[in-house]
Amino acid sequence: MRAGRSIALTTARDAVETEIGFTRTVAGLNLIVSDLAPHIALLAQGALLTVEVCVLALAGAVVVGAAIAMMRASGSRLLRGIATVYVDIFRNIPFLVQLFFFYYGLPELGIYVDAFATGVLALSIAGGAFASDVIRSGILAIDPGIVEAAQVYGLSRRTTFLKIVMPIALRLSVRPLGSVLINLILTSSILSTITLNELTGSAKIVASQTFRPFEVYAVLLLAYASLTYLLSIAIARFHRRLNRGVLEAV
Amino acid sequence: MIRIENLKKAFGKVTVLDGIDLSIEPGEVVSILGSSGSGKSTLIRCINGLERIDAGRITVDDFDVSNPKELAEARKRSGTVFQLFNLYPHLSALRNVTLAPVEVLKRNAAEAEKEGRALLESVGLGDRADAYPAQLSGGQRQRVGICRALAMKPRYLLLDEVTSALDPEMTAEVLEILADLTGRGTTMIFVTHEVAFARSISDRIVFLDQGRLLVDLPCETFFAEDGGMANARVAQFLSKMRKD
Repeated sequence: MRAGRSIALTTARDAVETEIGFTRTVAGLNLIVSDLAPHIALLAQGALLTVEVCVLALAGAVVVGAAIAMMRASGSRLLRGIATVYVDIFRNIPFLVQLFFFYYGLPELGIYVDAFATGVLALSIAGGAFASDVIRSGILAIDPGIVEAAQVYGLSRRTTFLKIVMPIALRLSVRPLGSVLINLILTSSILSTITLNELTGSAKIVASQTFRPFEVYAVLLLAYASLTYLLSIAIARFHRRLNRGVLEAV
Repeated sequence: MIRIENLKKAFGKVTVLDGIDLSIEPGEVVSILGSSGSGKSTLIRCINGLERIDAGRITVDDFDVSNPKELAEARKRSGTVFQLFNLYPHLSALRNVTLAPVEVLKRNAAEAEKEGRALLESVGLGDRADAYPAQLSGGQRQRVGICRALAMKPRYLLLDEVTSALDPEMTAEVLEILADLTGRGTTMIFVTHEVAFARSISDRIVFLDQGRLLVDLPCETFFAEDGGMANARVAQFLSKMRKD
C-alpha cells in the first residue's frame, strides 16, 4: 500500500500496476516461506547432488588437466599429439552435445553409464581440457634456470617434473584454475538435461509443481551465486596458503 | 681433472667459443676473466652439460659430457652455482639443499637433513633453514645456492658470476664463504668480474676474449707487468675494471 502512495505523481494506471507487482512479490516471499517449505527437502537434495557432482568433477578435471598438461610437455611426439587433439576436441564442442553423446549416444554401442557417473565424467573430461591449458601455461611460466639447476644436480626428467615443475606450475595455476572450476559448477546445471535432478533439475520440478517459476528460480539463482562465491573465497585462501613465502608478492 | 680440448660452440651464426683448450687439476682454483660476451658463462654451461658442444671434447674425471650416459657421472662430480641463484622457489632452504642428495645420491633423508642443516649453519643460515627462497635476501639465497652445490660433495665447484646479481654488501658475504672454501682445498672454476677477489683466491687466471682463450697463467704472473699485463687486451681489460 505504501508503495502505491509513494508513486502519487504517476498515473492511476501505473500506480495500480505497481501495486499489483508489489503484492505479487510479497506473495512470492510468503510463498518462499510457507508454500516452498514442503519442497525445501527436494531442493536441498538437488543442491547436495550438485555439490557431490562438482566435488568429484573438480578433482577429475584437475587430474585430467594435469595429465594432459604433462603429455603436452612431454618429449614424445605421440603423447603431445594425443593431448593436443584432446584439448582441441573437447574445447570446441558444446558441453550439451558432448553430454548427449555420452548419455544418449553411447548406449547405442551397448555402453551404459548412469546419469550421475556420466555427469561427473563429462564434466571432468571437458573441464580437464580447459584446466590443462591453465596448467600448461603454468609450466611454461617457470623460470628455465630452475629446471637447469635440477638438471645440473642430476635429477632425472621424471623427478624434475614431479618434484619441481608440477608443484610450481600448480601453485601458479591455482587462481586461473579457480575460474575453470567455477565454470564447472555453472556448467553442472546442464546435467539436468540428462535426467539428473541436481539443483537445477529439482528446481524445475518444484517450479512446475508450485507454478511459481519466478520465486523458485530466484532461489536457484541465489544458490548458484553462493556456491561459486564460496568456491572463489576458498580458492583465494588456498592460493595464499600454498604460496605463502613462495611467490615474491602474493 | 677437467679437460677441455678444442671446444667450439656457436649459437646460430654467432661463434661463442672458438677452440678452447684448458685443463683443471683437482685442488686448483681457476678464475675465468673476460668482458661480457667473451664466452665465460657458456664455457661453464658446456662443462656441466647445459649446452651441447659443437666440436671438441670435455671430460670430467674422464667422463665425457657429450655422452648422455657419462654426463650423469660427470654431473655428480661437479656442482654449479648460478648467477641468478635458480633456487627451487617452492622448497625451503633446507629442502633446496637436501633434494639432490636424497633423490640422486639416494642418501637417507634424515642424514641428508642433518648435513644440510650443518652446511647452512656453516654459512650463517642455521636459523633460516625453513625459510623459502623468496623470504631470503639475495646474499642469503646465494649462500643457499652454494650449500646446495656443496651438499652433493662435488670435486669441482663451477661458479658462474655468482655475485653479479648482488649489491656490494651481499657480494662480500658470499665472497667470504668462497674464500673459506678455497682454504679447504675445494677445486673451483670461478667465472667472475670481481678481479681483486679473483686475484686473492686464484691459483690460475684464464682470460677469454671473443671466444678464444687468450691467456692462461698462474695468478701472480697474470697480474705482473711482464706477464699477462704484457698482452694489450688484458691490460686494457684490467685498467677498465680498475676504473670501475
